[in-house]
Amino acid sequence: MDFLDLLYKIFVKDDSWLTILNGLWVTVQISALSLLFGTLFGSLLCFFRVGKFPPLKIAAQVYISIIRGSPVLMLLMLLFYGVFARTGINPLLVAVITFSMHTAAHVAELLRSALMALDKGQVEAARTLGFSKFQAFKLVTLPQLVRIAKPVYQSTVVNLIQWTSVVGYVTITDLTRVINNTASRTMQPMITIMGGMVIYLAISYLVYGIFHWTERRRAQ
Amino acid sequence: MSVIEVSGLKKSFGAFEVLRGIDLTVEEGERIAIIGGSGCGKSVFLRCLELLEKPNAGKIFIDGQEITAQGVDIDKIRRSMGMVWQKFNLFTHMNVMENLTVAPIKLLGMTKDDAREKAMALLAQVGLTAKADAYPEFLSGGQQQRIAICRSLMMNPKVILFDEPTSALDPTMVGEVLAVIRMLAKQNLTMIIVTHEMNFAREVATRILFFADGEIYEQGTPAEIFDAPKRNKTVAFIHKLKYFNYEISERHFDLMEMQGGIQTFAEKYGLSARRTNRIQLSCEELIYEMFDNACADEIKIEIDVTYSEVDNSVEVEFTCAGKSYNPLEKDFDELDEEHLGATILKSLAQNYSHEYDGGTNRIKFTLA
Repeated sequence: MDFLDLLYKIFVKDDSWLTILNGLWVTVQISALSLLFGTLFGSLLCFFRVGKFPPLKIAAQVYISIIRGSPVLMLLMLLFYGVFARTGINPLLVAVITFSMHTAAHVAELLRSALMALDKGQVEAARTLGFSKFQAFKLVTLPQLVRIAKPVYQSTVVNLIQWTSVVGYVTITDLTRVINNTASRTMQPMITIMGGMVIYLAISYLVYGIFHWTERRRAQ
Repeated sequence: MSVIEVSGLKKSFGAFEVLRGIDLTVEEGERIAIIGGSGCGKSVFLRCLELLEKPNAGKIFIDGQEITAQGVDIDKIRRSMGMVWQKFNLFTHMNVMENLTVAPIKLLGMTKDDAREKAMALLAQVGLTAKADAYPEFLSGGQQQRIAICRSLMMNPKVILFDEPTSALDPTMVGEVLAVIRMLAKQNLTMIIVTHEMNFAREVATRILFFADGEIYEQGTPAEIFDAPKRNKTVAFIHKLKYFNYEISERHFDLMEMQGGIQTFAEKYGLSARRTNRIQLSCEELIYEMFDNACADEIKIEIDVTYSEVDNSVEVEFTCAGKSYNPLEKDFDELDEEHLGATILKSLAQNYSHEYDGGTNRIKFTLA
C-alpha cells in the first residue's frame, strides 16, 4: 500500500501526470518532426553523395563526416548558444533543426549502404525489358532499398528518440527534463527515473511494433 | 531486313580495348552461338547490343533502327529484344507471376487478365505452373532461369540474347535450361547465345562465332568450327590445347627448373606420372643430344609441349639453332653407348619428324 501511495504521489498527484504527458508530447514532437525533415534532407544528401557532381558530392561527404563524428549535444549547443543566439528563436525549433541535421547525416549513410547492397543486375534486367531509368528506379530500386534499409532505419528512429533527451540543456522541458524535475520535487529519484525509463522503453517498443506491423508477410 | 546489324563496333574500358571492331549481320531466324575464352569480349558484345555499355565507335542497328544514334528512344527498342542473364536477375521482391506480367502490363498496355493468361501458357511450356505464386528465392537456379526466359518471352521479342545462361547453375540443372532454349530454337526464334556448352552450341546454333582478341576471329557453321577449325586460336580453343614453353640459352641451363615446370604443367592437367616422366626424359635426352652434336657456342633451344584435353594427346615441338642434326637418323640395330639418349628417345617418341631450315632444327613427336 505504501508503495502504491508513493507511485500516486510521484506520478499522479497535483496534475503530475499532466506535466509528464506534456513533457512526453514535447519529446514526441521533436522526434517526429526531426524524423520527417531528417529523412527528406537525408535522402537528398544521399542523392548528392552518390551523384556525379563533384562539388555537391564533396560537400555532402564533409557534412556527413562532421555530423556523424561529433556529439549531437555539441551541435545543439552550437546552434542554440551560437548561431541562433540573438534571434530569439523558439528553442523547440532549434532542437528540431539540430536533430533533423543529425538524422539526415545518418539516413544518408544508411541509404548509401543500402544502395551499395542493391543488386544492379535486377535494375539492368528492368532496363532491358524496356523500362526507363525512372521506371526501373520505382519498380526495382525503391522497393528493394526500403526492404534493405528498414532494419537500420528502425534503430535510427529509436536512437533519435533517445538522443532528444538532451534538449533539456537548451531550456526545453521534454520528458527527461520533467522526470528530472519531478525527481527533485518528490525527492524520489529511484522510482521517478525508473518510471521515466519505462516510458522511453514503451515508446521504443511502440516504434518496433509499428515497423513489425508494416513488414508484410511474404508468401512461401 | 536483318534483325541485327553491327558495323565497326569498338569498346574499351580505360586503356583496355575489349572490342576492336566487330561486324555482324544477323538475319531473322538465325541462331548464333558465341564461344571463346574468358575475357574475349563476348559478354561485353551482348551488353553493347542492349546499349548497357556505350560503344566507343561503330554502329548498331536493331530491326533497322540505329540504337547508337543520338536521341534514339532506346527504351522502346529494348522492348523488342529479350535478355537472359547468367545470374537470372529476377525481381526478388516480386513473385513469379508479377515478374512475368509487370513489363507487358506497364509497357505494352496488356490487360492484367491477358498477361496472366499468357504467363500461365508460358509457364506451362517450361513446366512451372505450380510456381506461379512463389518468390524467386524459393526456387532453384534452374527454375529461376526458366522463369527468366519466360519473362523475356512475355514481351514478344524479335531476338533474345543469352549471356551464359547456364554458367551459374549446378551441373544437375543445366539440362533443364538447355531444354527450354532448344524448344525455343525449334520455334525459329532469332537468338544469340554466349555459352561454354560446346555440344549445346553445336546442336542448336546455325552459326558459330569464335571470339578472340576482341574480334570475331573465326566464324562458320557448327561443322566448320568444331570439326575443321582453320585458324590457330580456334584450333587451340576447340581442342582445349594447353601449352608449356621453355627456352634455353646456355649450356649450364637450369635443368631442375625445366623439369619442375613440366611437372607443374602435367599436374595441372591431370597427366599421369608415367607420361610426365616420359615428357621430362625425352626433353632432357634431346637437349643433351643437341648440345653434343648440333649446337655451337651459342645455344638457342626452345621446347613447346602441347597437351590436348579433348584428344588426351601430348605433342612436343623442339627447335634448336645450329648444324643440321637428326638424333634418330642413325642405325639403331645395336645399343650404342655413345648415343644412349637417342636410343631412349627412339623408344618413347611416336610420329617423329625432323626438319632443317635456315639454321634451325625442328623436331616434332608425340608421346603416348
